[in-house]
Amino acid sequence: MEKAINRQKILLHHLNPSSSTHPNESSSLHASACVAGDSAAYQRTSTFGDDVVIVAAYRTAHCKAKRGGFKDTLPDDLLAPVLKAVIEKTNVNPSEVGDIVVGSVLAPGAQRASECRMAAFYAGFPETVPVRTVNRQCSSGLQAVADVAAAIRAGFYDIGIGAGLESMTTNPMGWDGSVNPKVKMFEQAQNCLLPMGITSENVAQRFGVSRKEQDQAAVESHRRAAAATAAGKFKDEIVPVTTKIVDPKTGEEKSVTISVDDGIRPGTTVSDLGRLKPVFKKDGSTTAGNSSQVTDGASAVLLMKRSVALQKGLPILGVFRTFAAVGVDPAIMGVGPAAAIPVAVKAAGLELDDIDLFEINEAFASQFVYCRNKLGLDPEKINVNGGAMAIGHPLGSTGARCVATLLHEMKKRGRDCRFGVISMCIGTGMGAAAVFESGDCADELCNARKVDDLLLSKDARLK
Amino acid sequence: MPVFKTPFNGYSVKFSPFYENRLAVATAQNFGILGNGRLHVLDLSADPSLPIGELAAYDTADGIYDVSWSESHDSIVIAAVADGSVKLYDLALPPTSNPIRSFQEHTREVHSADYNPVRRDSFLSSSWDDTVKLWTLDRPTSVRTFKEHAYCVYSAVWNPRHADVFASASGDCTLRVWDVREPGSTMILPGHEFEILACDWNKYDECVIATASVDKRFPLVCLNGHGYAVRKVKFSPHVRNLMVSCSYDMTVCVWDFMVEDALVSRYDHHTEFAVGVDMSVLVEGLMASTGWDELVYVWQHGTDPRAP
Repeated sequence: MEKAINRQKILLHHLNPSSSTHPNESSSLHASACVAGDSAAYQRTSTFGDDVVIVAAYRTAHCKAKRGGFKDTLPDDLLAPVLKAVIEKTNVNPSEVGDIVVGSVLAPGAQRASECRMAAFYAGFPETVPVRTVNRQCSSGLQAVADVAAAIRAGFYDIGIGAGLESMTTNPMGWDGSVNPKVKMFEQAQNCLLPMGITSENVAQRFGVSRKEQDQAAVESHRRAAAATAAGKFKDEIVPVTTKIVDPKTGEEKSVTISVDDGIRPGTTVSDLGRLKPVFKKDGSTTAGNSSQVTDGASAVLLMKRSVALQKGLPILGVFRTFAAVGVDPAIMGVGPAAAIPVAVKAAGLELDDIDLFEINEAFASQFVYCRNKLGLDPEKINVNGGAMAIGHPLGSTGARCVATLLHEMKKRGRDCRFGVISMCIGTGMGAAAVFESGDCADELCNARKVDDLLLSKDARLK
Repeated sequence: MPVFKTPFNGYSVKFSPFYENRLAVATAQNFGILGNGRLHVLDLSADPSLPIGELAAYDTADGIYDVSWSESHDSIVIAAVADGSVKLYDLALPPTSNPIRSFQEHTREVHSADYNPVRRDSFLSSSWDDTVKLWTLDRPTSVRTFKEHAYCVYSAVWNPRHADVFASASGDCTLRVWDVREPGSTMILPGHEFEILACDWNKYDECVIATASVDKRFPLVCLNGHGYAVRKVKFSPHVRNLMVSCSYDMTVCVWDFMVEDALVSRYDHHTEFAVGVDMSVLVEGLMASTGWDELVYVWQHGTDPRAP
């Protein structure tokens, strides 16, 4: 009966438009503040559990091509350990993996696809798990991760591996065959043939990046990478690889375990680099010292739908948010990140100020410095453990390597590090970028911006 | 025009998204104040001069205030029940197997239910306990509870384009827009001086929301025409500017909010409060209404609902 009286009262209120004695209205009504505007670093929960998360990300050590620890390691033997690691360390049944996508650039396409399939077998994957390669030049490893994330989101499968592989010992950079004479009629097509170092010189000259700035960036990269190695920061992400070294004089094979990057030069100084001669252009500023190193390396990232990760009880290292690839002038291809990063960040509903950590590939110091300055980024947020000038740039692997480096660093930082961005320039004039969010390993958020406007979202305000 | 007599007072009527001749009606005994409820599933005959047939009927211990069709299964219907429960019915199963599920989390009367038309795996319920709850078919408990309103939430409606966005209308005189991925509401619109009883999103312009209030008006353009509180409001799925409303003044009105004289038609076929109204997604212009006169009318816009 009391229930009936309450209902009658509520319904009768509908019929009293002139009533000014709303007891509920006066006593309890209050507009609550929206916690965030559209672009604030809001706390977005995953209500449906269907976003794509990263539960593991590993890489091999990165070693100098032809002279480093992997000079006698075949490409498939380089990829197999990281594929095995993402499965073994998470205890995921390899047969549950829906696809393995490997970024790789320099090897002949059909052969590389076969080598990756072979590597999957070495790593213990059954024949039922498919493998394919992807080539978007220097962003191929990141593109592989993005392709897997897109496939999971599309519902093709729930678990996938995005990986990267490059052996620049086995497959040096070069051009096979002749050039189509037609390129002379298309300036942009002709600029696709420019050596990468020339595009670096173009960036330096056009945007006024001095030799000194470039050398300083290189020194900082080596310093940070050396400090990270000494502090053991890379131990979480590097998978030791047991392989062989062949003595070039005696032909003797020796078994070794490679677990440390060997391109890092801790003692590098600006004056040391100042003595190097420009390689690509007389009176230029790009040298071997302020360019990324030619490197052998591999990396792999295990992605899955969040609900699957929760069901398996796996810690979530990070969340894949957005990916963007954009085109730029081939003659200054190094500006790619400056074009791609804003697109990916905006697609994630964020602003550059919301990003706490960046991994921007250092193909060349000139383009790295340009992109950093162009976007107004805090150097303390970029490549905090060194970049490609120190660690190396195995073209097809770098994107996935950066995922491993970024997410492990984000995990270490925990509190105050919610969003990270990975980006690289791409030969022939492109940029790629991806936005990641920290996983549930991190501490609770405490860097959300206060929002003054209590009622309207930013979009509404702009209208 | 087809008409159906229900034993109890009508509260809500919804066309099926799968069959153009099928609709569901929520009814409650004694005007929803005390007593039982019943959910009717009706089939229209191809010949409008023939009576409406009843496909199924389910009794509930308390009144049913709203009904919503599943967007993923043609035979599943959701009922918002006055005892605080949300019940799931499957027409493909015999009456003894129904309800196939009863969610009992709301602490007071559940006033509305709405199925997600984009994602198709979740639905909302809003209640007089001041909350909105999010549910999926495969989970026994609610996915999330939204608690910001300070008074009864009369309506919660999904955005027709964005899978995670919905709006809620409340007696606290605010309309709130939510994104289920965010901890709180993203927009608060104090659009009325009195309780807001219903809301709906425009199907063609995602910046347009209609709200229906005790003050008898719509705030975007003030549409005056109803003599008492407006109980339901719906945008047309076929025409951007068209909307329909029903009111305690016992009429159903059709509006074009872009013209000066917005009132297009007024239908006064109900002899008691008109409480439920819907427009068919599958047949343009086909409308249905129900009210406390215990009748369900189905008619084509522009014709007389009472014509034989």
